Amino acid sequence: MKKISLTKKFSKDQIQKMALSVIGFFILLYVYFSFFLGPLNRSRNSMLVTIADLQGKMASSKTDLLKVKNLEQQASDATTRFAALQALSPEGAPIAWFPPRIKSFFANQNIDKANVRLDTSEAFSQPELSGWLNDSWSIDIPETDFATIGNAIANLENSEPLISITKLGIHASAAEPQYQQVTMALATTLVKR
Amino acid sequence: MALHLNLLHEEISEQRQRQRDPLKIGMMVLAGIGAVLFLYYMWNAYRTLEIKGRLSAVQAEWAKVEPKIVAAQKKSEELNGTISTTRVLDEMIANRFYWAPFMDRVARCVAPNTQLTGIEGGIGDDKMVHVSLEGVAAGREPRAAAEDLRQLVLEQLGKSYTDVKVEFKTLEDLDTIVNVAGASMPMARFVLTVSLNSPKAASAAATPAPARKKKS
Repeated sequence: MKKISLTKKFSKDQIQKMALSVIGFFILLYVYFSFFLGPLNRSRNSMLVTIADLQGKMASSKTDLLKVKNLEQQASDATTRFAALQALSPEGAPIAWFPPRIKSFFANQNIDKANVRLDTSEAFSQPELSGWLNDSWSIDIPETDFATIGNAIANLENSEPLISITKLGIHASAAEPQYQQVTMALATTLVKR
Repeated sequence: MALHLNLLHEEISEQRQRQRDPLKIGMMVLAGIGAVLFLYYMWNAYRTLEIKGRLSAVQAEWAKVEPKIVAAQKKSEELNGTISTTRVLDEMIANRFYWAPFMDRVARCVAPNTQLTGIEGGIGDDKMVHVSLEGVAAGREPRAAAEDLRQLVLEQLGKSYTDVKVEFKTLEDLDTIVNVAGASMPMARFVLTVSLNSPKAASAAATPAPARKKKS
């Protein structure tokens, strides 16, 4: 019934033109949303997201800056101590400076002869000590007496915090029983250069 | 009754036909909608431009702040690394075994009728200190003199260290006779094994390392 009235009202040519207009309308809408409004909205949304992200970052950055300032104040002791501990390791390979330093130390303690040799040098397993080396040294002192070596060890332990004696052997000298032969194993914690 | 003749009927109907042309009407409607859509697009474009301006301002501000933040984060990492490294080093230093006080305590235990001929010690993997004391004791009962030394060492070391054990590894009589304070006395040779824990190492092993306080 409706079809009859439509054909009555409009000619075939007119219906074709109307259909063409409707198709044109949908094409217009498609082009408009796909190629104009859609990209514009996407770009605007992405800019809004970026703005929110940056504003969030800036807000957190202010608290971060404050935290770092506080941390700097609180870490001043640790920083000073760390620098002092680092200063215990001079520049250069430890094999070059450590034996002379120990010999000189024992010479100052009235122990004239001390043989120092490097046994092992390895990295620490702790991640905090990735910049440090764990070296093991052997020290042979062919002739000394108990009191002298006792004082020397006390001074070594007090003056060198990063040196730890891991083994100690004191034996009476066969030739001169009043003297002792001493062997020591030291573990040192030195800065990796 | 007057007779009306419309001589322009065909022209008028053609004109009406042209005016009612659906394509033309459709085009006009399309143009209208297009105009509305264009205006809407322009409005959106204006808003987008405004947001772009805001974005540029925020980006410029961020560009000023970002190097400071990066430097602060780097500094923070450095400081945290320094703090944790110093803490580990301090723990290592505090947990060292000091041999000099140990030697001092042992030396004080040695009576005139005993003599230590060798000390051999080391720190085990379990952080326990194991020491072997080798020596000779002289007396009417040389084994008793050696036992006195063992008990004295145990008592003296027990004052400063924990988990102290002093045991004979060997104790044997010697044929040699020595003169102690003008009297000839038989001798015994002994080896004492000492194992102990330094108090700091013991407390460190018993209690876990305290967590760092959160800094407000």
